[in-house]
Amino acid sequence: MIIKLHDVNKTYPGVVPLHVLKDINLEIRRGEFVSIMGASGSGKSTLLNILGILDSYDTGEYYLDGVLIKDLSENRAAELRNRMIGFVFQSFNLIGYKTALENVALPLYYQGIGRKRRNAMAMEQLERLGLADRAHHLPGELSGGQKQRVAIARAIVTNPSIILADEPTGALDSHTSREVMEVFRQLNRDGMTIVVVTHDPTVGAATDRLIRIVDGEIESGHD
Amino acid sequence: MIDLLREIAQTLRNNRLRTVLTGVSVAWGIFILILLLGASRGLINYFNDFASAESSNVISIWGGYTTKPFKGYKEGRQIKLQESDADAISKNVSDRVVKVSRIATIDSASIATSKGKVNSLTAVYPDEQTRIKLKYLKGRFINDRDIAEKRRVIVLSDFAATTLFPTEEKALGATVNSMGVAWTVVGVAKQDWNRQNFIPYSTYKSITGNSKDVEQLNVILKDIDTEGAALSTEKDVVSVLGNEHSFAADDRSAVWTWNRLKNYLEMNAVGIVLEIGVWVLGLLFLLTGLVGVSNIVFVSVRERTHEIGIRRAIGAKPRSILTQVILESVAITGLFGYMGLFLGMFVLQIASTIIPEGSPIVNPTVDISLALKVTIALIVAGALAGLFPALKAIKIKPVEALRDE
Repeated sequence: MIIKLHDVNKTYPGVVPLHVLKDINLEIRRGEFVSIMGASGSGKSTLLNILGILDSYDTGEYYLDGVLIKDLSENRAAELRNRMIGFVFQSFNLIGYKTALENVALPLYYQGIGRKRRNAMAMEQLERLGLADRAHHLPGELSGGQKQRVAIARAIVTNPSIILADEPTGALDSHTSREVMEVFRQLNRDGMTIVVVTHDPTVGAATDRLIRIVDGEIESGHD
Repeated sequence: MIDLLREIAQTLRNNRLRTVLTGVSVAWGIFILILLLGASRGLINYFNDFASAESSNVISIWGGYTTKPFKGYKEGRQIKLQESDADAISKNVSDRVVKVSRIATIDSASIATSKGKVNSLTAVYPDEQTRIKLKYLKGRFINDRDIAEKRRVIVLSDFAATTLFPTEEKALGATVNSMGVAWTVVGVAKQDWNRQNFIPYSTYKSITGNSKDVEQLNVILKDIDTEGAALSTEKDVVSVLGNEHSFAADDRSAVWTWNRLKNYLEMNAVGIVLEIGVWVLGLLFLLTGLVGVSNIVFVSVRERTHEIGIRRAIGAKPRSILTQVILESVAITGLFGYMGLFLGMFVLQIASTIIPEGSPIVNPTVDISLALKVTIALIVAGALAGLFPALKAIKIKPVEALRDE
């Protein structure tokens, strides 16, 4: 199991506490291509944040690639995010004043890898995604599909345990969406574990397994 | 490390206007600091020039009148310094006294040629030359043979030479009249603050009747660098004279003293206070600049919340965000601080060439050790200015920063 959640609960405190995740049990095997589907407000973003070690949970246990993710320090969380998780976001989240190559190389910078080596590694991933000729362009000079492929290159450059994609096609037209999903499919064939969070059924249909989340509870998808 | 600097350079380049606006306030603060320091240094230089016109390690003593009865003597008795007093002081305060020289100032005596007339004669020993620090000397000073042979020779001031003769050069070897006898001019000397004319002490004594009276003693001190020590040495010297002449050691007017060393040390202390004051003032100016830097780095952190969120999500540790923000602040402060520093030094250089001689600001430049102090101040200040925004930056939660707007 690359991901194992056992009775995970999360409540946002407030005047009326919001119980967003209720006893979540989830297992994802290495090499799976999974989508988590739910309407907005269903708790799927919170679940993604917990899976991505961007947020904490209250009770239960979460193992990522055998490591218990609980009560981590900021430093340890940053380190695990850097090495184990590749993020792909809806709005790409590239740094505007850095070239495609520099954006892809940034996670390696935080691993302390030298400039030459990390640029070579970043270039390799851009080539893999067919963007070698765009390496020295700024994100503003790229199309939406190209930006998302740069973001995917950045996600895989550290060779993470999983890729977490948050509405990766939300900002793209249907043609480009298909292309991006095809990129994920190709990466999955190469052995990468991919978790896509979406509300779009066509995106869900493009994955191997569907996990539905409704009102903070997992409804179906256990195969 | 080079990577980190590259990161910072890129960030600053991409926020050029903000960087420049921030920098200008720092440059201005440093510029004012340097100008103030230069001006105060100029004033201190002026004091020092004044002080070093004669060497500072001297206590001068003249005879006076007693105000207290002592050992059967009534008050109001005149104390006349004697030749023997010099030896008594040398012997009794030998640990702090280099030597005691005798000197006589004859203000009433005039020196005349057919061309003009000047006043004031000073009868000295040859070593007076080292004490008074001449600006220049044409010909020679009073020497040992002048003393031994009681020669009638005179060293004129530059003022006297040009008053009595057409030029300083023409004065050399010529003859002047004074105290009823003729003197040969052997030298012309220029001093900073004085216009003394020198004759041999022995010649003066022989002309005035070889009395053992001494008008003035100059006690030359060694190894004294505190006001307290200067004062206590003065007290010891006076008490030696009290023994010799039988007056109370605490009788302040039996002999008159002028403790040049004490004055010098006092003036030094004033100079230090002035310099500290200027630093405080200058750093306050710098502080205004730094508040600006801090403010702008705050804004920059806010603007870059999203970027910082991205960096955190892909694995930046809080510490690396902290370091980056602080170093950005240090880089802005350092870079523009140096611009202010060099601009300030440049203005001071210009000022020092156009300020006329004799004005109370002398050579108002600052030295390189100051540049070092300013560097340290800039780095510390930049780090401080960046610290608070940086602490705010690391509080940014990636989840919140990445939430789609």
